[in-house]
Amino acid sequence: MATNMDRRRNNAPSGGTHAPVFARTLREPEYLQTLRPTRARGQNELRRIYLQTGIVPSASGSAYLEIPSSTSISSSTLIKPASSLKIVASIQGPKPLPRSAPFSPSLLLTTTVKFAPFATRQRRGYIRDSTERDLGVHLETALRGVIIGERWPKSGVEVVLTILEGDEDGWWGDAHASGSGWGLLNVLAGCITVASAAITDAGIDCVDMVCGGVAALVRNPDSKDGKDLIKILDPCPVEHRDIVAACAVGYLASRDEVTEIWMKGDVGSDPDALIEGATHASVGSLSVVKEVLLESLQAKFQKQIENSQGAQKRKAEDVEMTG
Amino acid sequence: MAVPSIALPGQLLGSADKYFPGPGTHIHESSIYASIAGPVLTSPTPKTTSTTTKPSPLLSIQRPDTSTDPGILGTGSGGGGTILPEVNSVVLALITRLGPRFATCEILVINDVVCRESFQGQIRREDIRATEKDKIKMEESFRVGDLVRGTVISLGDQSNYYVSTSENEFGVVVARSEEGRLMFPVSWKEFRDPVTGRAEARKAAKPF
Repeated sequence: MATNMDRRRNNAPSGGTHAPVFARTLREPEYLQTLRPTRARGQNELRRIYLQTGIVPSASGSAYLEIPSSTSISSSTLIKPASSLKIVASIQGPKPLPRSAPFSPSLLLTTTVKFAPFATRQRRGYIRDSTERDLGVHLETALRGVIIGERWPKSGVEVVLTILEGDEDGWWGDAHASGSGWGLLNVLAGCITVASAAITDAGIDCVDMVCGGVAALVRNPDSKDGKDLIKILDPCPVEHRDIVAACAVGYLASRDEVTEIWMKGDVGSDPDALIEGATHASVGSLSVVKEVLLESLQAKFQKQIENSQGAQKRKAEDVEMTG
Repeated sequence: MAVPSIALPGQLLGSADKYFPGPGTHIHESSIYASIAGPVLTSPTPKTTSTTTKPSPLLSIQRPDTSTDPGILGTGSGGGGTILPEVNSVVLALITRLGPRFATCEILVINDVVCRESFQGQIRREDIRATEKDKIKMEESFRVGDLVRGTVISLGDQSNYYVSTSENEFGVVVARSEEGRLMFPVSWKEFRDPVTGRAEARKAAKPF
């Protein structure tokens, strides 16, 4: 931690980003469990996604993704019911490479993923840590497979993602829920989706739109021995006490190709089913991306069409001067 | 199959034997797919050399206009202006440095589109004019701060695009005299100060 300190800023005290809840103040231990959020949607149902492109004026392309938490905040407790995911992506470039860089016949892709200091339950530093670098590498492999780099020789593009709020690894009420890393899979899938929307907004040539999706195997809370597993799409780690395995993919729907897989946990004998579930989840988020991009395209080109029509009209109205 | 009016990356546009792939598209398994988002344009292919069959129409995807003003937080913000110099594109460049063998310039405008970022270019001495190449003198052709119209002849090495001004239409378009006044061209190799009337040597572009 000491090596990762930022000496140029006033660092906030490390620790939580939310009001602490002391176990002793709770009236009875069972009371805590009644607050635990449960999954209200179906097994194959995704959380709702909010997406908007073109939000950073200075960037050549940008997008904002939010997966709001479905459970409402109750007034009787300070424990956050469920986390939501909020990511901003901005694209810088394509721009000429710096003078020192060697010749490159295709586009050089750089991805930077950074958690905001307040993004997670545990406060993050200002300097990128290993998790963020890891996410960046995963994102880069996911995007490298879709971009047609040969169309942009001698140039580089930077994909900068800021996670304003990350999906939690577990429920805040559980003492040791953090650190399991289940939330990171959701974050990666969100990063892939929002980066893809931003790249399309920037007008960089791609073979397809890559979208992220997550599927998980969880223990069925209704079963008696707790041994049978169910497959769910888009798991919200807060809502599940026992996640056994999870998988995030970057999936090209129209080509039926996968550019990135990240799997975690005990998958069992049939990993393909989990991957397939994740691709189904990514198709779900793709439909949102498509709608949003079409909407922004219409707004973008509406003005252009009106302008050209106006120019023609003006030309027609011009009267030739005669002596 | 009808061509869609608006396309997103990865969308099937048509078969490769019915259309030619234009800008913004790519071919995958003998079909043309969109690679950027935008309206699909079908235009007749320009006549190329010895095509015996009827030429197929060209499918391309339009990029957003760069002239539309980038509104703050609007959908029109961002995008546009991200084009690269290509061979044969006409550029406007600012001379930044003069060397004995070449002039360094900053490419600011490519084919009437203002770039987001400038590109580094180089005008070699032998590319300044087409005739009497051995007699060209750098300081009689350009000065630092001149605005030059030229054409890209090569993508060049790691950092420079190679620009040539060896046609009549290419050369210095805006030049300032030693006193800092804008000068006007009087011949293909001379600019004149409007006040002092002193002439300075430049490789002037032919005015339209």
